[in-house]
Amino acid sequence: MQADRRRLNAPAGGTAPPVFASANTSPPRRRRKADEHRKIFLQTGIVPSAAGSAYYELPPDPATPPLTRKSSLKITCTVHGPRPLPRNAAFSPNLLLTTHVKYAPFATKTRRGYVRDSSERDLGLHLETALRGVVIGERWPKSAADVVITVLEGEDDGPAGAHSGDMGSGWGMLSVLAGCITVASAAIVDAGIDCVDLVSGGVAALVHDQSSEITTVLDPAPAEHVTRAACLVAYLQSRDEITEMWMKGDAGGDLGGLIESAVQSATLARTVLVEAVKDSTEARVAAMSPPELPSTDAASKGRPKDVVTTG
Amino acid sequence: MASTIVLPGEPLGPSATNIPGPGSHIHAGHLFSSLAGPLAKSSTSKSTPNPTLTVARPSGILIPETGTTVLGRITRTNPRLANLSILALGPSGEHTCRDSFPAIIRQQDIRATEIDKVKVAESFRVGDVVRATVISLGDERSYFCSTAKNELGVVMAVSEGGNQMVPVSWREFLDERTGARELRKVAKPV
Amino acid sequence: MPPYTNIPLSPAELSYLHTSLSSTPPIRPDGRTPTQFRPLVAETAILPTANGSARVCFSDGTEAIVGVKAEVEKTRGGGMEQDVNMGGDDGNDEGKGEVQWLQLGIDIPGLRDDDALPVFLGAMLREALLADGGLAARLNINARFHWRLYVDILLLSPPLSYPLPLLSLTTHLALLSTRLPALVSQGDEDPLFNDDWQASLPLYPSKASQPPITLLVISVQDTILFDPSVPELAVADAVLAISVLQTPGSRTWSVVAIRTVDPPSRLTAAGVPSSLGSAGGAVATATNAEVLLARERDEIGSVWRPPRGGVGRKVIARMVKMVVESGGVADEVMGGLEGVEIGMS
Repeated sequence: MQADRRRLNAPAGGTAPPVFASANTSPPRRRRKADEHRKIFLQTGIVPSAAGSAYYELPPDPATPPLTRKSSLKITCTVHGPRPLPRNAAFSPNLLLTTHVKYAPFATKTRRGYVRDSSERDLGLHLETALRGVVIGERWPKSAADVVITVLEGEDDGPAGAHSGDMGSGWGMLSVLAGCITVASAAIVDAGIDCVDLVSGGVAALVHDQSSEITTVLDPAPAEHVTRAACLVAYLQSRDEITEMWMKGDAGGDLGGLIESAVQSATLARTVLVEAVKDSTEARVAAMSPPELPSTDAASKGRPKDVVTTG
Repeated sequence: MASTIVLPGEPLGPSATNIPGPGSHIHAGHLFSSLAGPLAKSSTSKSTPNPTLTVARPSGILIPETGTTVLGRITRTNPRLANLSILALGPSGEHTCRDSFPAIIRQQDIRATEIDKVKVAESFRVGDVVRATVISLGDERSYFCSTAKNELGVVMAVSEGGNQMVPVSWREFLDERTGARELRKVAKPV
Repeated sequence: MPPYTNIPLSPAELSYLHTSLSSTPPIRPDGRTPTQFRPLVAETAILPTANGSARVCFSDGTEAIVGVKAEVEKTRGGGMEQDVNMGGDDGNDEGKGEVQWLQLGIDIPGLRDDDALPVFLGAMLREALLADGGLAARLNINARFHWRLYVDILLLSPPLSYPLPLLSLTTHLALLSTRLPALVSQGDEDPLFNDDWQASLPLYPSKASQPPITLLVISVQDTILFDPSVPELAVADAVLAISVLQTPGSRTWSVVAIRTVDPPSRLTAAGVPSSLGSAGGAVATATNAEVLLARERDEIGSVWRPPRGGVGRKVIARMVKMVVESGGVADEVMGGLEGVEIGMS
């Protein structure tokens, strides 16, 4: 074929597209046992200017090599309140709890915008349902409390390499919500709002493992499995009650077993929650100066200290 | 640190033999804690054979409740009431509020005696720091407060000349620089 | 200024409702049995310009219309590779559809798109529809094109009661009546369809595969009630939305989604126990400690108190069982829907 002189031509010999070595040698597989939860890091009081705050992290497994994708979860929560309602709000006999969940734009594989989309609002509603059962709202009339959650790093929705499809219906949302429930519970207790109990979130899933059998796993990391059904519960252990349940997928005949496993996962998460809240409360009480220690009567006894008047 | 730390949901005792105090709640015949903090048990006597279990909040009082003594600043006055902005909770302002709460002191709540002859202009001025107690949650806009006790009333005031004044009686402040006296409902300094 | 809760019931009325609903046998305000549904009017294929449509009116005056429209869309990455596909192609199999191909929109009068209720309902209905994976597979035309289904739900009446069962039933009927034009082209070429609407194929071809239905279940102490009316919802201890799907080929039901709904009873004001009331000269304003003591002590519930805590596991298990058991509520609802004629618009 004659060379076309009117244009800049491609090299005569033809080109071959570059072939890159694939980064993933093998997709990550679950190394934990089926009933083992990932290690949780939970600390309260990280934002001193807020009434209550907490930070929750699922650190990545140090045993996996750094190049393979590892799923981890980082959530911060701040609680503002109880504070007075705005002037033109109607009288509310109970505490007005509002939740606000937002993924940071860099939190997931595909960038999210600054404005909340519908999946984040949905997460906020689930969280509100879970927390409203725990908070004793009638002790806080005419007040509002805001729970603001920022997800700094979210979970992948499916096995690595698969087209994750719609971000909103992914399985990773359940694990993120479980973390949000636990961290919000720690922050609310840190803020001093009355609660009936500590609420913890737990997830269990029915997954296809290598032999394509269906097994139940606790605390699934969706990047490691092909999930068939998953269930999240927000569990109150001292009352044995569930304030929030979210189940997706086809559980077949064993729905009760799936719920039981989710409750078990929530119980495992609660042990960490109890530790963290206890540590921070002890630190706070120890830091309180002696005159502020509670006396047995509600009002303080003795000589009231006056404000110094100058002059 | 003798008192034990309890967490929300921890059982404290059966409700038949214990009285629930602030920070606790009853569920299924048993007392449970609703806050994370130190547990306090009140002493028992012949009239109250059951102890009251209270869990204190480590951060102190959070919002004004009926019976709380508060410190605030007067923001407006009119012949029937004075508007107060609650800035701190506790008799000496132990807990500063993050946001101020609006409150009202009505003319009939300023004093305990001769309440219909009270003049608001002779009791409070805008800018005075006042110690009051919350008597009610009030309406949507403000709490209701009262200064009808000896130790309640104006604690700090600035004279018309701009100088800090000292209290001289239950109803007068003295500006030491100019010697002028101004009428206020003065809190009894202890 | 609207009241904070739009429940116009006093604590005395709430307490009365709660007591009557938790008695054995439960006494519902309109006299129904616990599993009895209110009569409804349903018709399909009412919109000639939509691929499928339905309208359902409940007897309390709430009404909804759902219109389903389908558009042909090019599949991204199908056939021509636009990006160099790294990491293998496990996941983008042929025949498996994308969950993005279903778009659900809910319009409730008086609420914006991003308000809590439309978001929650939309997410729940979507989850239920995509649960079995079959719908997305049926929207595939060939390797390069697929159908994008737009399901638009309009609630025509103001949201006085929780509209979930109404919207779910209407969507179910609308999807059953949805027809897609028959494909005439072959293979992977640009799709060409038969102009004759009589030759169109239904989206859910046989009785065996049906879209799911979502039911609203409430529990009031030990009583479990279906199809709750507004006052019943106001005193519910727990509210659950359960989506069930009939297993293709058999009459058994499987649960595909469960969500707890925040019961509106938590927003109600508690009644004042008589020991605290100002009638009879008692002290009108008590300190917080006294109020707490009086409220907590009132365990027998002489006045209404908003529910605390959650729902027990046994109650959830009972609710699910009542829905999926053979002869249970799902079978009843399905039996009722079978009477609706699925027309062709």
